[in-house]
Amino acid sequence: MLSRSAQGLYWMGRYLERAAHLCRLMQLQVETLVDRPLREIHFGWNRVYRSMNQAPPAGTLEAFRSDDYTLADSYTLADHLTFEPTNPDSIWNCFVYARENARQVRNYISAEMWLSLNTAYLHLQKLNIQEIWKTTPESFYAGTSVEINTFAGVTDATMYRDEGWHFIQLGRYIERVQLSAAVMLAQIADHGRQDESFDADWANLLHAFHAFDAYVHTYSVVVQPGQVLDLLVTDGLLPASIRRSVDSAAEVLRAIGHGPAPNSSREALGLGDTLCKCVTARRNDVAVWQPVLDRVHADSKKLHHLVIDAYIDYPLEILPAH
Amino acid sequence: MDFEDYEIDSAFYDEMFQPDGNPRDHCRTLYDSLLRLPVEELVRMQERVTHSFSSEGITFTVYGGDEANERIMPVDCLPRLITAGEWRQLEAGLTQRLKALNLFLADIYGSARIVEDGVIPVDMVHGCPQYRVEMRGINVPHGTYVAVCGTDLVRTNEGFHVLEDNLRVPSGVSYMVANRKAVKANLRRLYRSCRVQEVEHYGRLLREILKELAPREDPDPCVVLLTPGVYNSAFYEHIYLAEEIGATLVEGRDLLVNGGYVYMRTTSGLRKVDVIYRRVDDDFLDPLVFRPDSLLGLPGLMGVYRAGNVTLANAPGTGVADDKSVYAYVPDMIRYYLGEEPLLMNVKTYICRREEDLEYTLDNLEDLIVKRVGESGGYGMLVGPRSTSAVRDAYIREILENPADFIAQPVLDLSRAPCMIEGRAAARHVDLRPFVLHGRETRIVPGAFCRVALREGSLVVNSSQGGGGKDIWVLGD
Repeated sequence: MLSRSAQGLYWMGRYLERAAHLCRLMQLQVETLVDRPLREIHFGWNRVYRSMNQAPPAGTLEAFRSDDYTLADSYTLADHLTFEPTNPDSIWNCFVYARENARQVRNYISAEMWLSLNTAYLHLQKLNIQEIWKTTPESFYAGTSVEINTFAGVTDATMYRDEGWHFIQLGRYIERVQLSAAVMLAQIADHGRQDESFDADWANLLHAFHAFDAYVHTYSVVVQPGQVLDLLVTDGLLPASIRRSVDSAAEVLRAIGHGPAPNSSREALGLGDTLCKCVTARRNDVAVWQPVLDRVHADSKKLHHLVIDAYIDYPLEILPAH
Repeated sequence: MDFEDYEIDSAFYDEMFQPDGNPRDHCRTLYDSLLRLPVEELVRMQERVTHSFSSEGITFTVYGGDEANERIMPVDCLPRLITAGEWRQLEAGLTQRLKALNLFLADIYGSARIVEDGVIPVDMVHGCPQYRVEMRGINVPHGTYVAVCGTDLVRTNEGFHVLEDNLRVPSGVSYMVANRKAVKANLRRLYRSCRVQEVEHYGRLLREILKELAPREDPDPCVVLLTPGVYNSAFYEHIYLAEEIGATLVEGRDLLVNGGYVYMRTTSGLRKVDVIYRRVDDDFLDPLVFRPDSLLGLPGLMGVYRAGNVTLANAPGTGVADDKSVYAYVPDMIRYYLGEEPLLMNVKTYICRREEDLEYTLDNLEDLIVKRVGESGGYGMLVGPRSTSAVRDAYIREILENPADFIAQPVLDLSRAPCMIEGRAAARHVDLRPFVLHGRETRIVPGAFCRVALREGSLVVNSSQGGGGKDIWVLGD
C-alpha cells in the first residue's frame, strides 16, 4: 500500500477517535452545567483541556465566580472545543481532517464508509454553537458520538481486512491510549482535593469510559479512585480500557509485520509488547498509577513516531526495490 | 409533467422536440413517461439526485480569491437521448479525428512532414507554448500520444460540430458515470424500456489501454494515477478513476527516480512504476525540465520517460494539437494523413494571426465569440452579442497587441434540451463530451458527459461558470 495512503487511513482513525473522546467528555461536561457546583464545572473544563494537551483560551476559567460567568465562559469553551476553526483539535476540525483523509483514500475504504463519514460531516457543517446551545447540547454530543460509532460499525461490517484496515485500527488505538492516559492523569492531578464533588468527578470519569455499570458490577457503588483506575486501565473486558487498546494495537502491529525500516518496526513491535505488560496488573493506588500512566502516555507518543518511521517516512537509503 | 410552457425556438435544434412541437420519434417513450409523472414526483427526483451527489461527495473545486471551494456538481435529472445511428456517426468521426491527431503529434515530434509540406504553418506549431521540444525523437508505445481524449461537440440545426479537442488531461468522465448512476436509479422502468447502452465499463477500457501502453510486455504492469492533489478541481474524478482502473492514486511526492526507473513509496518498500496516467499538466510534470518551481511533479521523470522505462499517458506535448489555432487545421490533417474527408465538422474559426481573419474579427466582434488560444474552461472569453462596447474596446486593444493569441468563432446556436428548472421543464443549451480511448486501437464507450448551461439563455456550459451535467442515453438499435 502507498505509504501516504496508509498515513491517511491512520490519521483518519486518529481524528475520529479524538472527536469521539471530545464528544464523550463534552456530553458529560454540559450535563454538569445544569446542576453541579461551580468547582466541579471548573474542574471538568480543566480536565478536557488537559486531556487534549491544550490550555483554555485566555480570559476563561479564571472567572468562575458566579453562575452567569460560568455559563458564559462555558459557552465560549464549548464553542472553542466543538466548532472553532482555529482550534486544530475541535470536533469540527477532527471531522474536517478525518473526511479529508478519507477523501484521499476513498479507493481503500468501502463506499459505505465514505457515505457514513461524509453524511456526518455534512450534518455537522450545518450546525454552530448557537444552534446546539438553544436546546440540549448534550444530545448534540451524544448524537455525534453515535455518528462516529456508526462509522466504526460500518467500517467493521464492510471493510476488507487488509493493510488499510490495520492502519485505521492502529490510529484509533494509539490515539485512544494517548487520550485515555492524558485524561486519567488530569484526574489524578486534582486528586489531593477533598470536597463534596470529589466522588462525582471520579464517577464522571467512569461515565466517560462507559464504565460505570461495569464498575458497579466489579466493585461496588462506592467509588474508590484506585479501583476506578484499575478498571479503566487493566480490565480486559471493558471495551474502552487502556489494556484493550494496547493489546489491540500490539496485535495490529504484528499483523502489519516488518516494514521497510526493520529497526523501527522491530522497536514498535517491542514497545507494543512492553506497553501490554505495563497495563495488566491492578495497583489500586492512585499514587502508584501516576508514573505508570505517565509512561504509557509517553510510550504511546513514541509508538506513533515509530510507526511513521517504520512504514511511512522511512529513510530511502534502505531501498529494497521490487 | 406537461410541456405546455416549454419554449421551442426553431433557431436552436431541440434534442427532444421537433420544430412543430411533437416529440422526436426516439424520444416518444421518454416524453410519454414524463407526461404520466406528476411534476411533484420529478421535483422530488431532482432533489434525490442532488442529495445523492452531495452525500457521495461528487464535487468539483472552484477557485475564487484565495480560496478553493468544493462544490457539488449540479446535475439535471432529465436525460438527453441520442439514437444508435447518430452515435455510430459520432464514433466514426471521433475515431478518425483521434487517429489523425496522433499521427500529427508523431509527425511534428519526428520528421515534421506536414510542416515541410506547408499544410500547417511552422511558426504556428513551433511557436505554440504547448509544443515541447523535449518530445522530439521520443518513440511512444504504439504511436499513442493521446490515450484519452475528451472531445467537445455541439449540435446545431446543421448537425454536430467539434468545438474543441481536449488532448492534455481531459476531465468529466466521472460525472458521465455518476450522472448515469443517479438518473438510472430514479428512472428505472423507463431506463429499461429505452434499452440504453451502458457506460459503466469505461474504467475497464481505460485500464486495458493503459496496460497496452506499458513500456514492456507485462501482463500486470504497475499503473498509477498521478494527481496534483486534493485541491485540484477534478480531484473527485482522480479518486474515482484510480478506483475504477485499479491504480494507485499518487502525488509527485510519493514517487522517486532511482537508477533510471520510477518508484513509489509503499509500506513494504519501493515499488517500480510502469505506467503513469497523469492528471498533472505538462508544465508541472518534471521541475528539472519544465517549470522549476513545480512541487506537483517528479524531478527526473522526463529522463526515465526518454529512456523508455515509464509510460506517460497522455504524452507530454499533446497540447500543441488542441491549441485553439491548430484546431482550425484538423480537417486538413485528416485529409493529409488519412486521405479521407472529415466525418465531423469543425466550427468556422478565424485565426487572428491571419490578416484577413483579424480584419473580419475586428469588424464583426459583436457577432463573434473570441477566445484566447491559451485559455480553457470558458475563462477569458468574449461573447460578442452579450458584451458591452467598453468590453469590446478593451478586447480590440488586446487583440491588436497580440493577434496570435486570439481566435474568433461565430456564435453557435447550441442545441437545447429540456431541464428541470424550478419545478418545470425549461429549454437549456447543451453540449457533449465523449471520451475516446486509444492504446493499440480506439475504444469509445457509448455515452458522454453532457454539459448544460443552467442559466437561462446562457451558452456557457462550464461547471466553473454556472454549468451543470446531464445524463446522455445512447439508445440501442
